[in-house]
Amino acid sequence: MGYGNYRDPFVGLRPHYTVQAGEKLALTFVILPGESRDADLFIDLVGEGAEAEIKALYLCGGDERVRFRILMHHRAPGCVSHQLINGIAGGTSKVAFDGRIVVAPDAQQTEAYQENHNILLSGQAHVDTTPQLEIYADDVKCSHGATIGQLDEEALFYMRTRGVPEKEARVLQMLSFLSPVIPEGREEEVERAIRTL
Amino acid sequence: MDNLLEIHNLHARIGDREILKGIDLSLKRGEIHAVMGPNGAGKSTLNAVLTGRSDYEVTEGTVLYDGKDLLSMAPEERSWAGLFLSFQYPVEIPGVTITAFMKAAVQARRKAAGLPEMKTSEFLKLLKEKMAFVQMKPEFAKREVNVGFSGGEKKRNEIFQMAMLDPTLSILDETDSGLDVDALKIVADGVNALRSPEKSAIIITHYQKLLEYVQPDVVHVLKAGRIVHTGGREVIEAIEKAGFDQF
Repeated sequence: MGYGNYRDPFVGLRPHYTVQAGEKLALTFVILPGESRDADLFIDLVGEGAEAEIKALYLCGGDERVRFRILMHHRAPGCVSHQLINGIAGGTSKVAFDGRIVVAPDAQQTEAYQENHNILLSGQAHVDTTPQLEIYADDVKCSHGATIGQLDEEALFYMRTRGVPEKEARVLQMLSFLSPVIPEGREEEVERAIRTL
Repeated sequence: MDNLLEIHNLHARIGDREILKGIDLSLKRGEIHAVMGPNGAGKSTLNAVLTGRSDYEVTEGTVLYDGKDLLSMAPEERSWAGLFLSFQYPVEIPGVTITAFMKAAVQARRKAAGLPEMKTSEFLKLLKEKMAFVQMKPEFAKREVNVGFSGGEKKRNEIFQMAMLDPTLSILDETDSGLDVDALKIVADGVNALRSPEKSAIIITHYQKLLEYVQPDVVHVLKAGRIVHTGGREVIEAIEKAGFDQF
């Protein structure tokens, strides 16, 4: 079969979600300040054309411990998955992101994307991000990306020169950074949480 | 108070390099001044110090704006007091639309002035009016600030913000910006339209071209960190003829 060194990452693990042919799974996670959490998510795309869309945001301002483990397993052909995980770590929080996309040998015409972007607000906060791709099929479109950055000081300064107070400028920038992952209807809640950071 | 801005013996450095070596400049209400000088004279440093950039250290001297100590004010406090400083290289703010940005700026300034929040309908009307005034296409209201803008569009956006914020003193840093004539006209129209007995402007440039469109009342020559000559419009002509070496 030409499996090479393909190992089924789900051996011994039960997937949290199994997505069948033609189904679409959409999940959003919101982790607010004060919450320490292990967010484990194992998804099996087992039917042809199954789709998954994962969005997550985290906000840490104290000594939270947040850990994401996301495993997206494309087992069938023609499946599509999107993952976007954005978060902000302040205080002395520690955040770890482990994301793996596995494309099985049979899963041709897979489209799989994963992005994890993080902003550090303090020198004591810590973010580890490990995105991984394991691809055993040859006709696939896959990409992953991870960034760890800080608030853009130049942009903050520019906003301040136009009269936006420093704190508001920071809130605006954090909101815009998170906006792609804020679930509809929870904008105000997230903004309130940002203001506590 | 007759003088809106009074700079006295201003010294500033970046790292251990002294760039401003005793600037003196007084500007009356209603006046437009030009500060001209060769590369490396200190034009950008002067603008940076007035803007409130923290990487420049003022070692000596004072700046009084409307009688207040400008140098002790945070950048946003300077804006609330009626100062507007345009950037030579306007900054991109990904994810923040022009509308959201201007709303935050307008409301913060009203709050600082003890005024109630502007109603959204009133704000949008003002936004529309000022965009039309600088001939900015309406779709820019929803664009992210300066993201993907051409040089001319960024410049137009600066002048739009100036019009929105209706400053008492505008300081325009046009140093080395290599503006094309269209962009120059946008800046000039913006400055000229805001001209009134209460409003003043300083144009920092080494580019005579802009001063064909905006007529300054006073022209200063900045060289090696000092104002070495102050005069009227005839100074521009003298520079055009014989450069900065004559001063």
